Amino acid sequence: MLSAFNFRVIWDYMDLFLRGLWATAWISAIGLSGALLVGIIACMMRISGKKLMSGPAVAYIELIRSTPLLVQLYFFYFGLPSLGIRFTEYQTGIFALSLNSGAYMAEILRAGVQSIPGGQIEAGIAFGLNYLQRLRYIILPQAIGVTIPPMLGQTIVLVKDSALLSLISVFELTRASQILTSERFMPAEGFLTVAVFYLLLYYILKSLSAWWQRHLIHRQA
Amino acid sequence: MWSFYFSQLTDSIPFFLKGLWMTFKVSGISLVLGTILGFCVGIARAGRIKPLRYLLYVYVDFMRGTPYLVQIFIVFFILPEWGIQLAAFPAAVFSLTLYAGAYICEIVAGGIEAVDAGQTEAAMATGLNRFQRMRYVVMPQAMRTILPPLVGQYVLLIKDSSIVSVIGLTDITRVGWLTVQRIPEGIMVFGLVGALYFSICYPLILLSNWFERRLRAQGG
Amino acid sequence: MIRFEKVNKWFGRHHVLQDIDFHVAAGDVAVICGPSGSGKSTLIRCINRLEPIQSGDIVVDGMSLTDRKTNITRLRAEVGFVFQQFNLYPHMTALENVILAPLKVRKMNKKEADDLGRELLEKVGIQEKASAYPAQLSGGQQQRVAIARGLAMRPKIMLFDEPTSALDPEMINEVLDVMRKLAFEGMTMAVVTHEMGFAREVANKMVFMDDGKIIETGDPEQFYTNPQNERTRLFLSKILSH
Repeated sequence: MLSAFNFRVIWDYMDLFLRGLWATAWISAIGLSGALLVGIIACMMRISGKKLMSGPAVAYIELIRSTPLLVQLYFFYFGLPSLGIRFTEYQTGIFALSLNSGAYMAEILRAGVQSIPGGQIEAGIAFGLNYLQRLRYIILPQAIGVTIPPMLGQTIVLVKDSALLSLISVFELTRASQILTSERFMPAEGFLTVAVFYLLLYYILKSLSAWWQRHLIHRQA
Repeated sequence: MWSFYFSQLTDSIPFFLKGLWMTFKVSGISLVLGTILGFCVGIARAGRIKPLRYLLYVYVDFMRGTPYLVQIFIVFFILPEWGIQLAAFPAAVFSLTLYAGAYICEIVAGGIEAVDAGQTEAAMATGLNRFQRMRYVVMPQAMRTILPPLVGQYVLLIKDSSIVSVIGLTDITRVGWLTVQRIPEGIMVFGLVGALYFSICYPLILLSNWFERRLRAQGG
Repeated sequence: MIRFEKVNKWFGRHHVLQDIDFHVAAGDVAVICGPSGSGKSTLIRCINRLEPIQSGDIVVDGMSLTDRKTNITRLRAEVGFVFQQFNLYPHMTALENVILAPLKVRKMNKKEADDLGRELLEKVGIQEKASAYPAQLSGGQQQRVAIARGLAMRPKIMLFDEPTSALDPEMINEVLDVMRKLAFEGMTMAVVTHEMGFAREVANKMVFMDDGKIIETGDPEQFYTNPQNERTRLFLSKILSH
C-alpha cells in the first residue's frame, strides 16, 4: 500500500501544496474577521430587546443554521450575477464563509453574554452606565474569556469549510490536490497530503484552545 | 423572463422531490449507522482499555480535523486504487457514517463521563455486571446529556450530506446544480433548495432546543 | 467472614493501606474510625473490590479477592454496600432502586421482586415512599432506601461507608435506628463512622486507623475507657468533646 505511495510526486508538487496551504490560511483569516464582525452585529441586534432589531437577527441566524454552507455558496455564486452583482470567486467564497460562520459566532457571543450574572448588569444600570458603556466595561471583558474556546472551535469548522470553496474554483488546499489528481491522476498522494495539512491546522487551533483554557483556570484561581 | 423561469421551475418540482428523497435516504441511513457506530465507539472511548482509547483518539481526530469534502474524495478516489470499488451511493453512506460516528463518539463519551462515578460503584456493589451497569444505570442517565447535542449532530449530518453531490449523487443540492444550468436564476433555484433543507433541519433544531431546555429545567 | 492478610495499597506514591491484618467473624459488628485521610474508607471499599489492592489478600466468606477463579460479581452480590452519598439511581423510583439487582442479577420475576422490595422498604420504615423518586426524598429517607437496596440481594455481610456523614443532624437517628435493628438481627457488619454512641451500643469490635495503619483494635468498653495508644486517646478526646 505504502510502497505504491509516490513520495517523489508529493515533493515535486510541494510548492503547489504550500501555496494551497497559504491560500487556505488567509482565506480563513479574512473569513474569520468577517464572521466576527457579522457575529458581533447580529448578536447585539439579537439581545437588544427591540423586536425590530432582534427579529431580522433571529431570522438570519436560523436561516443560516438550517441550510448547508454548500447551498449558501451556490446561492451566491449563481445568484449574485442575476442580481447584476459581479464578485470574483474569491469574494463570493469569502462572503459566503463569513455570513455562514457569523451566525454561529453570534450564538457563541450570546451564550457568553448570558453567562454573566444579571446582578452585574443591574449594578451597571444602577451606577448610571448606558448600554454601550455596560457592554464595553462589564459585559465584553468577561464574555470574551469564556467565548474564546468555542470561537476557536468555530474557527476549526471555518478552516475545514473553506475546502468547499474549491468547488467554485477558488484556489486553496483542497483545490491543489484536485489539480494534482487531474494532472497526474494520483488521488492518494493528493488527498492524503492535504489531509495531513488540514490536521496540522486542526492541531494548532486545538492546542491554542487547550492553552487558553488552562490560562483561564489559572486566572480564576 | 422571471415568470418564464418560475414556470419552468415549477415544472421541475418532481425532479426536486426526487432529489429530496435521495437526501433523505443517504442522510437517514448514515444517521442510523452513524448512531450505532458512534454509541459503540463512544462507550469504548469512555472505557478503560488504553490501547483502544488511543486508537479511537486517532480516528476521531482524523475525522474532526479534516474537511468532509477531502474524506469523501479519499473514499471515492483512493479506495478503488486499493481494490475497493464503491459506487457513489455506498461511498456516500460509508463516508458519512464514519464522519458522523466520530462526532457522536465524542458526544456519547462526554455523556457517560458526566454521570457520577458513584452510580457505577453503587451498581457494582449490588453485583450488576459491566453490561447491566451500562444498560440500566449509566446510559439512562447519560442519555439526558447526550440527546440535545445528538439531535444537533443530525442537523449537521443532513447539511453535510449536501457535499455528496460532488461525487455525482443526485441529492437536492445536485438537483439544484443541474437545474441552474438550464434555469440561470441562482436565487430562485437555490432559494428553493435552501427552503427544502430548512423544512427538514429547522424542526430538528427546535427539537434539540426543547431537549436542552428540558435538561436545564431538571437541573441537569 | 472477612479477613485481611498483610494488605497493602498505594494511590500513586501514597501508601494508603500499610500491612493491614484484620478479621471480622460472622455476626460481628465492627466499627472503624479514625481521622479523615487515615484510609478507613479505602479499607472498607477494598472488601468488595471497589478498590483493587496491590499486595496481600482479602478473604470474604471463604472467597479470596486475589484468586483469579473468584467470581467477583457473585461476591459483590453477597456483600451489601451503603455509600456516604447514597448513590441512589436518580432515574428510578425507590422501589425500582431496590429491586434492580434482584431482577437483573438474580433473575427474579417482577412479582417476587416487587414483594421483596416492598418488604425491605417496610423494614427501613418508608414503604409509603415506594414510588417516589430520590429527588423527592429527604437525605435520611434516601439513605434508608440505599440500605434497603443493599439488603435486596440477601447479603451475608453489610458494609457502611460513613452512612450518616452527609446527613443533616436531625436525620441521623432514623438511619442509625435501621442499622441498630440490623445488628440485633445478627447481620455481620463493618461500619466506618464517627457516631460513637452507636458504636458503644452495638459494636463488639473497634478499629482505630491513622496514616494507613491499624493503630488499635479492641472491644468498645476498653477502647473508650482505656485506650492503649496515645494517638487513639488524642483522637477520642477530640471527637468526644463535642
